[in-house]
Amino acid sequence: MRRIFTTLSGVLLALTIFAGNPGFGDRGYRISVMGEYSYNTTWSHHGNLDVQALLPFNPYFEMEAKIQFSTANVYTEVVQLRPKFTLPVGEMFLETDLMYRAVARNRVSDFTAGLGVGYRMDYVSVTLGLFARMMSDWGRSWYANETYVVEPFNVMYRIEAFCRPQNNPWNLSFCVSNVDDYQMERVWQPLFMANAYYDVVDHWRLNFGVQCKPTGMFHLDATFYGATFRTGFTYKF
Amino acid sequence: MIMQKKIYYIALALVLSACASKDSSLDIAGMFSSNGEPVDVRFKQSKAYNDSVDEIHLNVASDNYTVYVCTDSHITRKSHKNLDYFMAQYKAAESPKVAVHLGDLINAQQNFACADSILHFAGQTVADTIFVTPGNHDLYFKQWTEFRSFFKTGTYWFDTNNGDKKLDLFICLDSGDGTLGVDQMNWLRTLLADKAKEGYRRIIVFTHTHFWKLDNSQGHTSNYSMEETYELTALFAKHGVEFVWCGHQHARQSVIFKGVNYLVLDATKDEESGQSYMTVNMGESAIYHYHNYPK
Repeated sequence: MRRIFTTLSGVLLALTIFAGNPGFGDRGYRISVMGEYSYNTTWSHHGNLDVQALLPFNPYFEMEAKIQFSTANVYTEVVQLRPKFTLPVGEMFLETDLMYRAVARNRVSDFTAGLGVGYRMDYVSVTLGLFARMMSDWGRSWYANETYVVEPFNVMYRIEAFCRPQNNPWNLSFCVSNVDDYQMERVWQPLFMANAYYDVVDHWRLNFGVQCKPTGMFHLDATFYGATFRTGFTYKF
Repeated sequence: MIMQKKIYYIALALVLSACASKDSSLDIAGMFSSNGEPVDVRFKQSKAYNDSVDEIHLNVASDNYTVYVCTDSHITRKSHKNLDYFMAQYKAAESPKVAVHLGDLINAQQNFACADSILHFAGQTVADTIFVTPGNHDLYFKQWTEFRSFFKTGTYWFDTNNGDKKLDLFICLDSGDGTLGVDQMNWLRTLLADKAKEGYRRIIVFTHTHFWKLDNSQGHTSNYSMEETYELTALFAKHGVEFVWCGHQHARQSVIFKGVNYLVLDATKDEESGQSYMTVNMGESAIYHYHNYPK
């Protein structure tokens, strides 16, 4: 046990040493456009178009705005506000997520709001927080008492490990989380992701990502549910 | 140091053997990847059975009858007091009746024979029987084969009638994987579209996995993905489903969404707080009551 503890402590110490300079490479404004092929057992094969803008107003505050159009007839808008605090080692941030998902195919609105605390170093980023969900029926009557469902407490988590420092011209990361850019799942519904980017030239970046979504993990009989493949580019101003 | 290592390995061996023992309900491998038949395979087998037998039309001989509903009995050979009580109440009831179990009938391996001796399962074609849906505990440790040997099918429908008059339609779904899978979902879409035109008094869906996470009463039990939650709730609403009965979270809950009443039941498991079962008086209105088990 002591050996395991010593090894883990050594790895963490090494990560903090390498994380001396927080320069995470997100000091400039960016806009990204990505295409996705996605499949799940409910919506079958579908494609998504993602547009994202990163707006780092100053070293202490950034905002991200994201929108997704899906051929499954689902439209998602996300705004993230992220105050940041540079520490001697790494960076701490507050993650404020507002997501609205217009599920037109089912005439349902899914609104989620979350607040989390994150800490990132060159090789690791961790976020932990809470979010609430409100699902509402588009056809609801203002006179009915069954207009919406509120799920007030959900845990959100995200653990991502990077192969290279985050300001490197290329990177590969592996992530487990119950939230991604356009969905916030319940706590017991993890998403497994691998993401990569490559800076082709100064202003242009290529992005790749793959996601696997099982269902029934944690006290159901786990099985495959869906997968998403993503590619696109980012322009860095 | 050597002694410490020995203690560590002995403790590890004990933990692993406990996980693998026949009385354990912890199927660690099944938590990450189904080690039995996945839901699409189970549905094909259920459908093949359904196609080989007659449709189930229960004549309850009255417009008013009672449905007895329980869930999550998690019985073992040593612990099945509440399920015994539920079956005794059901069998003793004089009015026309139907009984439904919403899954997790057993807790772990080799308990289906015990469950059968309590349920006196006579097949799903007579009124005085119990209709069962598989829960995750009925599927762990590759138990689907054993479940089938007793209950034959995990996805089916039956209806009740009073002579020539159609009353209520009941649809049982296999949700032990947290998804219906492709084939079962398509079957459900078609079935609801067809049956909604046949003039049933009400349509009731029953299954194991619940739909909402309203509070922390569900503990560490997962439910459907959001995509499937949107889809199923819209499908039920579109075709006029009145009730969806679920178990899994061991705590009662009532949610009305898009006009559909989602009821989650307490557990029937012995030695657990808040144990109860439900009766539903099926008349022109469906009125439900919870009944606590005796302590």
